Amino acid sequence: MNFKHKYFFLFPGLFVLIGILIFPIIFVVRLSLSGWNSYNPGLDYIGLENYIRLFTDDPRFWESFFRLSFLSVTTVILQYVIGFALAHMVWKDIKFKRFFRVLFLVPMMTTPVIMTVIWRTFFHESLGPVNDLLSVFGVAPKWLTDPVIAKFTVIIVEVWQWTPFMFLLLLAGLLSLPKEPFLAAAIDGASPIRKFIYVTFPLMAPISIGAIIIRLIEASKIMDTVYVLTSGGPGTSTETSSFYIFIKGLREFQMGYAASMSFTYLIIMIISLTIIAKVLTKVLLKE
Amino acid sequence: MDLVANNLSYKPDDQYHLNEVSFNFKEGNLYTILGRTLSGKTTLLKTIAGLLTPDSGEIEFDGKNFLKIPVWERNVAMVYQQFINYPHLNVFENIAFPLKQRKIDQSIINEKVMDALKSVGLLGYENRKIQELSGGQQQRVSLARSLVKNAKILLLDEPLVNLDYKLREQLRDEFKNLFSKGLADETILIYSTTDPRETMELNGEVIVLDEGKVLQVGPAKEIFENPNSLKVAEISNDPPMNIIEAKISDNQIRFEGIDVEAPQHLSKLTEEGLKIGLRSSDIELNENGHEFEVELAEISGSETLLHLKRGDTKIIVSIEEVLNFKIHDKVKINFKIDRAYAFHADGKLASSPFGGLNG
Repeated sequence: MNFKHKYFFLFPGLFVLIGILIFPIIFVVRLSLSGWNSYNPGLDYIGLENYIRLFTDDPRFWESFFRLSFLSVTTVILQYVIGFALAHMVWKDIKFKRFFRVLFLVPMMTTPVIMTVIWRTFFHESLGPVNDLLSVFGVAPKWLTDPVIAKFTVIIVEVWQWTPFMFLLLLAGLLSLPKEPFLAAAIDGASPIRKFIYVTFPLMAPISIGAIIIRLIEASKIMDTVYVLTSGGPGTSTETSSFYIFIKGLREFQMGYAASMSFTYLIIMIISLTIIAKVLTKVLLKE
Repeated sequence: MDLVANNLSYKPDDQYHLNEVSFNFKEGNLYTILGRTLSGKTTLLKTIAGLLTPDSGEIEFDGKNFLKIPVWERNVAMVYQQFINYPHLNVFENIAFPLKQRKIDQSIINEKVMDALKSVGLLGYENRKIQELSGGQQQRVSLARSLVKNAKILLLDEPLVNLDYKLREQLRDEFKNLFSKGLADETILIYSTTDPRETMELNGEVIVLDEGKVLQVGPAKEIFENPNSLKVAEISNDPPMNIIEAKISDNQIRFEGIDVEAPQHLSKLTEEGLKIGLRSSDIELNENGHEFEVELAEISGSETLLHLKRGDTKIIVSIEEVLNFKIHDKVKINFKIDRAYAFHADGKLASSPFGGLNG
């Protein structure tokens, strides 16, 4: 194909791409080399000063990053296990199959911020219904103000909110599996449990990898839940990378420094997700 | 150890898939289920395997109620018409799968899998992926998988139907080899097919199935020589047996203005509505014969199938050579009338050249 106006037709797409993706990334890189803050709002050039500060003098960023890794990996594992169990349940011919399929999707249809407000009310330490019920057993966990428990509260809310997405992907995967290997497995003497381990799970491996990666990317952006539920507190015990970058950039208005953190974060995420995808492929697909 | 079924019925919608099917299969024997598509062959095999539960009836194996035993404990093996394997496993792992379900020593598994690979001619393919194999090879893998577990009941559901002509011939020979090796004297082999020729070649006990009903049971030769009804005659011949509405009087078979002298086994049948059955191979081209018009001529392999017409009578003639005809050509044919069958108006066999119900 040699068509002399082809660049003309490429232009709209390219224009959008440049406008929303390529330019912002380049601008962030430039911004990270400046000292832009509320006293000095301008694109001056201070070299790698922001990066040096980030790598040598900001443990809070790294703490928030490891906290984020813990939260996202834990939530995604839980979402995968629960989502797979639910999907497997409604994949079989059970009664009220359609009803359950819709029911399991309900959390995803709600607005995360509003649901988090409701969860915050649920977990309120003196007025919430959760502790009201638990008072029967004489315990009252500090769901939102204990540095350790607060992390699990975030996990609970995240899992509740996003398991349906995992459920949807895995159910679609299960429904697309060929039926024949299951017939064969039954005749070959595989009990239902062995059938799951040796047939269903391996056949689902490619879809599982995709679903886990998608959810990991989504989960590492976690922000709204933390913001509404604990605002990163108590102290910084539920603060995640994106939340910390948000504080530095949009609250303290240290734009240059926030840009250097964003860019570093982007690079780390690309590298670590690539490694995770490779490892998952190796373990699940044995390739 | 016999496999006995009593009045199996299965009717998932408004049609019977199985209609009061009963049989008594003995170990060490080969049974062929012959029937057209949708006649209930697959349903029957699935019922035996345990993938389907019949609405009513019983199956007993070795004196035990088979329907109470879950599929995975039944010790049956099955080869399907689609080549069913495990796409995520390689050839070796596929064949080892049934053995792995039984906690067998790895060295014994290796040995058995290698034996099975050898018997289906796939040695050297152990590490291939299933998707890298051709259809015939895939079917061999599933055959090997069914052989390796030494099941007491081996079900083969039209195993050759999705293969091309050449492979079919080749695998059919291999099947015959495997079966004649005795495949252990205690195995019950059940083979379903739509192909009469395959049935004859396998030469086992035949069960003719149609619309879920057993029409006739007997050795292959018996089914071929003395089909007990028109339906069986149609199912057990390919192309189907020609059916001609004729009258017999004064020792003559008369139809469409043709008079043919009736052979001895037909001469006494003078009733109304009689149908004469004649195989397509029992009609030949002959200069002095009766004139028919060519409606269609199809060449299949080294055969020519001529669809002929005279008045309201349509017949098919198979000729053992490749000949070219034009539509509306006139040809002259002769009937090997001493090989003709006669059926009553209700479809029951009236007389066969092989001595069935002579009269």
